[in-house]
Amino acid sequence: MLKDITLGQYFPGNSFIHRLDPRTKLLMLVVYIAALFIAKSWISYGMMLVFLIGCIAISRIPPKSIVRGMKPMVVILVFTGVLNVFMTAGETVWVEFWIIKITKEGVIRGFFMVMRILMLVTGTFLLTYTTSPIALTDGLESLLSPLKVLHLPVHELSMMMCIALRFIPTLIEETDKIMSAQKARGADLENGNLMEKVKALVPILIPLFVSAFRRADELATAMECRCYHGGEGRTKMKLLHYTLLDMVAFFVGAVLLAAVITLSVFGL
Amino acid sequence: MNESICVEHLNYAYPGVEDTPGVAVFTDLSLSIEAGSFVAILGSNGCGKSTLAKHFNSILLPCGGKVYVCGMDTSDDDLLIKIRRSVGMVFQNPDNQIVANVVEEDVAFGPENLGVASPEIRRRVDQALKQVGMYEFRKHAPHLLSGGQKQRIAIAGIIAMEPKCIVLDEPTAMLDPRGRREVMETVMELNRNKDITVVLITHHMDEAAMAQRVVVLHKGSVAADGTPEQVFSQVELLHRIGLAAPETVELCYELGQQGIPVPLDCLDIERCAQAIYDRMT
Repeated sequence: MLKDITLGQYFPGNSFIHRLDPRTKLLMLVVYIAALFIAKSWISYGMMLVFLIGCIAISRIPPKSIVRGMKPMVVILVFTGVLNVFMTAGETVWVEFWIIKITKEGVIRGFFMVMRILMLVTGTFLLTYTTSPIALTDGLESLLSPLKVLHLPVHELSMMMCIALRFIPTLIEETDKIMSAQKARGADLENGNLMEKVKALVPILIPLFVSAFRRADELATAMECRCYHGGEGRTKMKLLHYTLLDMVAFFVGAVLLAAVITLSVFGL
Repeated sequence: MNESICVEHLNYAYPGVEDTPGVAVFTDLSLSIEAGSFVAILGSNGCGKSTLAKHFNSILLPCGGKVYVCGMDTSDDDLLIKIRRSVGMVFQNPDNQIVANVVEEDVAFGPENLGVASPEIRRRVDQALKQVGMYEFRKHAPHLLSGGQKQRIAIAGIIAMEPKCIVLDEPTAMLDPRGRREVMETVMELNRNKDITVVLITHHMDEAAMAQRVVVLHKGSVAADGTPEQVFSQVELLHRIGLAAPETVELCYELGQQGIPVPLDCLDIERCAQAIYDRMT
């Protein structure tokens, strides 16, 4: 069950998208999300979908792993879809039953909402799948660095993110171990109603937290031993630089955004 | 004698919580470690091995006395970074000292902190990874590696800072025999070929036997100090403080107890067999 968590998973590769500068990819994601929220019509959604599928194809990420990453989203998707279908007032009534009224507008709106969330999540996955977490945090640090003027701890934030991503697999492994240990002691994690299941989590979470704090302490000592003293005077092994590829990506992004805005202005 | 680490009359107590008194670890410990040597520090649990190690690079500061690293006083705040780049530390749990989720990025962490220029970091990282024999794993995620491999990455992360001395605090305690061998071989090679001073804290007698000098700590003071042969032949002293000699020496000691005196300085199996053979014929 815990193996399904795909957060921050990275598929190494050498595709066009893999080779883009992480800052480009981050900015492209922002553009993509903005376009997704501006898009209102079948045409613009279709365009976005083609763009997204194109990106997935170029990145050579197996579509299977994207679908797998969607699994935890199912509840939210169904909830959003159903809510929109039932709650949207409309002219063309398709089904009317007691207080439930399903309209054509509601169905269309529900469909668009679900598509929007799906495409949003897929786009984000594409970023984390094609960008190593280190490159991602480096990119984020570099993009946010103007905020240092406002005394925002940009370096610290990106360091924290990097360490958090590094420890996800370690902590998942640890959770698995603790669960097995508690099961060996007779803990029942599978049966019972919701309350009982939540209660059964306590003897897993407490050891996990204790060990996480111990790890944090040891890691802090180890980092100090390696001369870590904040972001000041720090250099990087890999320097970020934009290439021709990034220019191409920016151009494509600009065209996409312009097209979606134009379409929505003309009400298409 | 050119000293790498010099401990003078060290006094240290862990501070107590609120009303409880602190726990004294060292009252008057003096020790000096020669540059380029390979010293093993032995001791049973709670004798202050790890506490001593933490004094070697200013993680802990002495309550009394002085610790000098390459002539630098560890209590001098201005020298902190210089001290820590001179004395690298490797800890027991490899998982808890790896910062990044790509091997080469983790090795680069130390030099990055020191503000080394990018091409130089690249060179150091590649060199350090080659030295520990992990170069082909440079793009891997650390959590998919074995314990011995992870510990070698941690060592690479330290040598990329180009320290004069490496302190290893029970680096093999969590490893399987194969991982232990990998780590020990790496460490001995660094000592031999790179002239790096190695301080190995351990409770494996066979690892200590590979060192040039063994220091046995007991209750915060030095109980024995000398070459492995000199230290391990004091079997009774080792037993008294809760340690055991290497198995070969234990065997010779037992034979001696049974009225067959065999010299107690055989640390490897070949020599031990030869000594017993010589005694029998």
